[in-house]
Amino acid sequence: MSDPAKKWKRREREATAGLLSGPLLWLLLFFVAPVVYVAVYSFGGIKLFPTDAGVVSLDSWRRFLGGGSVYMALFWKSIRISLTVSVIVVFLSYPVGYFLALCVKKRKYVLLLLIIAPFLTSYLLRVLAWKIILGDSGVINSFLFSVHLRSPDHPITWLLYSQFSVMLVLAYVWIPFVALPIFVSLDNLDRSVLEAASDLGASRWQTFWRVTFRLSLPGVVAAFVFVFVPTIGEFVTPLLVGGPSGYMYGNAIQDLFTKGLDWQTGSVLAMFLLLVVAGLMVLFGRFVQVRNVAT
Amino acid sequence: MDAAASKGGLRLLRVFFALLAVFLYAPMVVLAIFSFNNGDVSFPLQGFTTRWYAQFFSNPLLIGALRRSAIVATLSSIIAVALGVLASFALIRRQFLGKSATSALFFSPLVIPYLVFGISLLLLFTVVDKLLTQVAGVYIGLGLHAVVIGHVVVSLPYVILTIMPLLERLSVSLEEAAHDLGAGTWQTFRRITLPLLLPALISSFLIAFTLSFDEFAIASFLAGTQPTWPVYLFAQLRVPSQLPQLVAVASVILLGSLVLVLFAEIVRRVVERRYGAEYSGRGIV
Repeated sequence: MSDPAKKWKRREREATAGLLSGPLLWLLLFFVAPVVYVAVYSFGGIKLFPTDAGVVSLDSWRRFLGGGSVYMALFWKSIRISLTVSVIVVFLSYPVGYFLALCVKKRKYVLLLLIIAPFLTSYLLRVLAWKIILGDSGVINSFLFSVHLRSPDHPITWLLYSQFSVMLVLAYVWIPFVALPIFVSLDNLDRSVLEAASDLGASRWQTFWRVTFRLSLPGVVAAFVFVFVPTIGEFVTPLLVGGPSGYMYGNAIQDLFTKGLDWQTGSVLAMFLLLVVAGLMVLFGRFVQVRNVAT
Repeated sequence: MDAAASKGGLRLLRVFFALLAVFLYAPMVVLAIFSFNNGDVSFPLQGFTTRWYAQFFSNPLLIGALRRSAIVATLSSIIAVALGVLASFALIRRQFLGKSATSALFFSPLVIPYLVFGISLLLLFTVVDKLLTQVAGVYIGLGLHAVVIGHVVVSLPYVILTIMPLLERLSVSLEEAAHDLGAGTWQTFRRITLPLLLPALISSFLIAFTLSFDEFAIASFLAGTQPTWPVYLFAQLRVPSQLPQLVAVASVILLGSLVLVLFAEIVRRVVERRYGAEYSGRGIV
């Protein structure tokens, strides 16, 4: 081997290291390390406050996973809410993706952008808008008062601070995001397959159910995961429009860190959530191509 | 016949699409209407006013929070774009051991719940501060620097996802040609690669900026005594007299970000269409 070849190889390696070191270091210091700290803390490996036991043990995990745990019940409630929301959102987004991908010829990207654009605006402000609309003296109720359909003494109270409001707002927030993977899967579909099905005598319903829908299933699963995973740990929407009955698992984590100051239990809850999310991503990861998100 | 939908089905789909679009935009329109209402945020409308806008322009706390968010968003997106360019080059142009693990690490901030990430950084800063006070008698504390650090992490994958597709199509032969013509590595990067990557850099900057500007979950744990705009907004929601003013700011920001998003997308498409050939080298060679 000649010396220049070796030298070239070394320079190549150095260049790669140079490219990687910045982003890797940032993520290791500010992403991996903090998460590892939370994991260690959940087992009592760090003594931060006088109230911390400072002994490594499985106690807080056992308390959390054991029977009758309040937080476990809250976790299942959150799962139920986000499952419901995900199903509703996928059902509402599918026709939109279908319409844009298969029925619209001109301007389909403009119309797609119309649906997606709200997602790229402020999340908090979109939730705020609903808080104003749904309140006891909010837009809907005050409208009903002013047209005398309802007396001001009896507003519709379940509109705000209920599980209904949490689900409505979560669905509202996530529909724009979910329309995208469904659209992509339908848009990439080979149209001649549809024509073949109808040439072979399949009705439109048969074509849809036995061909189109099945081919778009990866997109549907991706869409479902896109809503389900982030909403399990949701805490902002329930904080703003949930009230006590819309209180979710994420709110418990936030409260443990900001109000209750029981960081160890909080760490257990956070780690558990992270494990669930990671598990779901491993399970469904092959349906979720990150590249679909960007374009 | 069209296999996708019958005439009636098509009409139904069209109506559904329109209804959903109305559902998506109605709350924002409502917000905008009430921002001009000369009264509180409820029916009946009391006439037109711009006093809520005037009030928010003269509210120093609100302006301060907006400025803080602008600073955080600018800094974090500059850092994220810089790191994102390096990471994209490594992922597209280089072969190395553990590449798929590295790329998984780069993209994992996409799926971590921001709540979990926020408390993780909070814990990190608390632990580091405890150590520093014991050892050196100083402490860093929370604040805008902590928010910037967090926002860089979560916007990095979006930046990489925006740069990578363009970099992938950008032919290496252009850079090799520059090399052959005597340009150094830095010169090639500055004169050839960077200008060609510019559209992706701008749109990734805008994405990172908007992400950071109204990010609440992470900032709420890390801002400390320096509330960014979403954190301030959230705290003020409990004060009913502030509401009309907040509705006014909210309308401006929602409209502004909608325009920004549309603009970024249009620029991206126009640039890609116009210069599409150049990236593959065909336009030049």
